[in-house]
Amino acid sequence: MSLHRIFTVEELATDESFRRWVMAPTPELDRYWQQWLLQNADRAGVAARARELVLAVHDLYKDDLSDEMLRHEIAEITRIAEVRKAEGHMPFYQRAVWRAAAVLLLTGGLSWLYYTSHNTIAPSGKGQEITMGQEMLIKTNATEVEMTVLLSDKSVATLAKGSSIRYPRQFAAGERQVYLTGEAFFDVAKNPRQPFLVYTNETVTKVLGTSFRIKAFEGDNTEMIAVKTGRVSVYAKKEYEISRGAKPAGVILNPNQQVVFNRKDNKLEKAVTANPVLLAESAVQKEQVFDDKPVAEAFDALGKAYGISIVYNAETVSNCMISAQFSEENLKQRLNAICQAIGAGYDMENGRVVISSKGCN
Amino acid sequence: MNQDENISNTGELNIRLWQRFKAGDAEALGQLAQTHYRALYNYATKFSSDPDFIRDSIQELYLELWERRNFLSETAFVKSYLLKALRHKLIKESIRLKRFHEPQVAIFDTDPSDPSIETNIIEAEHIRFQNGRLKRIISLLSKRQQEIIYLRFYQNLDNEDIASVMGLGRQSVSNLLYRTLKEIKEIWAPAEFFWVLLFFLS
Repeated sequence: MSLHRIFTVEELATDESFRRWVMAPTPELDRYWQQWLLQNADRAGVAARARELVLAVHDLYKDDLSDEMLRHEIAEITRIAEVRKAEGHMPFYQRAVWRAAAVLLLTGGLSWLYYTSHNTIAPSGKGQEITMGQEMLIKTNATEVEMTVLLSDKSVATLAKGSSIRYPRQFAAGERQVYLTGEAFFDVAKNPRQPFLVYTNETVTKVLGTSFRIKAFEGDNTEMIAVKTGRVSVYAKKEYEISRGAKPAGVILNPNQQVVFNRKDNKLEKAVTANPVLLAESAVQKEQVFDDKPVAEAFDALGKAYGISIVYNAETVSNCMISAQFSEENLKQRLNAICQAIGAGYDMENGRVVISSKGCN
Repeated sequence: MNQDENISNTGELNIRLWQRFKAGDAEALGQLAQTHYRALYNYATKFSSDPDFIRDSIQELYLELWERRNFLSETAFVKSYLLKALRHKLIKESIRLKRFHEPQVAIFDTDPSDPSIETNIIEAEHIRFQNGRLKRIISLLSKRQQEIIYLRFYQNLDNEDIASVMGLGRQSVSNLLYRTLKEIKEIWAPAEFFWVLLFFLS
């Protein structure tokens, strides 16, 4: 932009360099425009108005698209494009026919499932291929209190009583798959390259990293999935399996939304507001206060509160102190907060939390 | 504001990326989609308050381009063309949906009969000395005026692109823009000295 001419508010407000200076200034931009203002002192009022215009318009029309969601959408577009290419070119009316066929298959499949599953007890995860060599573990909560299950990818499942989960000791590359009967709250570690899938009798829930609750007891007429954070896709299991690889028609849930799968109607029904009680990791709030305490004490208390073992090197962390107060935070949030405070990291191995710390000075 | 501004016209579209797209490389489509995704998403939020609907519409837009990739020229990925195609899609779809659902809250709409700023001038007088004055003034503009301000100063399109996106003649765009800026200035100007003062103090 030439320095020697008359500027209007509009010209300045649409100048790319000026806009960047207003929205995201860098030292260079700042130098340039401060210099410009000195040389164009008579334009200070115009510049001030252009600046306010840019800010006002931005503020008025901004949106809430997060980087995470953007990445997710781009990945989806790429993925579906790949699938469509594999399918080859197909005129749209043929696709419509295929869709109709898929719907018929789905309806048929689900009603078949309904009739059969009400006569026999379908084992959970029936028909799911398990990668060879993957050692599967099963945890069943036969106690009266919730059970915390730690998965190898740092995800946490909080199992309600009478519920059971099947999962690999170590997740293989590719999809992370677990099988649930009953009710659990999941806090899934973020990994966009490895979707996390929860299979129940009737549904498949797919996420990239988020927290949500699933309720799928055998014998109940409904299954329920409620989302606390992030974005979750839920599919009727039959449909998900039919459309393997392609894009199955599912329901997308945002935070505070829930979906109910009704076995009678074979339908996924979305509800906007999820019951807040369902969106807590634990039915009982675990209040914890650490006031300038040795971190070892905090780890022990945390382990006790969640019924898990937390392994750390007592000598290395002996100088680490922690002040923290937790009430609504879940296990991972607490672990993250404590570890961050003392500059440590953690892993989940063999159902235990292993702290790695270089110590504190 | 928008990191994508620097790749906003055909001449600068990466040739290799384009060749990969034409050859059927899905990753290339992803990269092309990334370029203006934020701009499109933001524009769409002015027509619909349903994020799922918005995401699906944008996804559909890019997948349609993907399926027609053998017949496309680079201009298909120019920002103003994408905005125009999306606008068309959103309006068409929301008219279809309105038959079944309650109308959604939208900032820009296609209703030509909404009041111009004069009718709101009394309220404008009232807000003159409040914070966020300019924001309020803009939000009182007619929907068409707001859209033009938005496309000019948020999306940073020139008059020709705005005409193409909104389906108006170029002269109508420059008349409407001129009139709108004049209206804004008339209400906004009297308090200007406050601003100049603040600007120098900060």
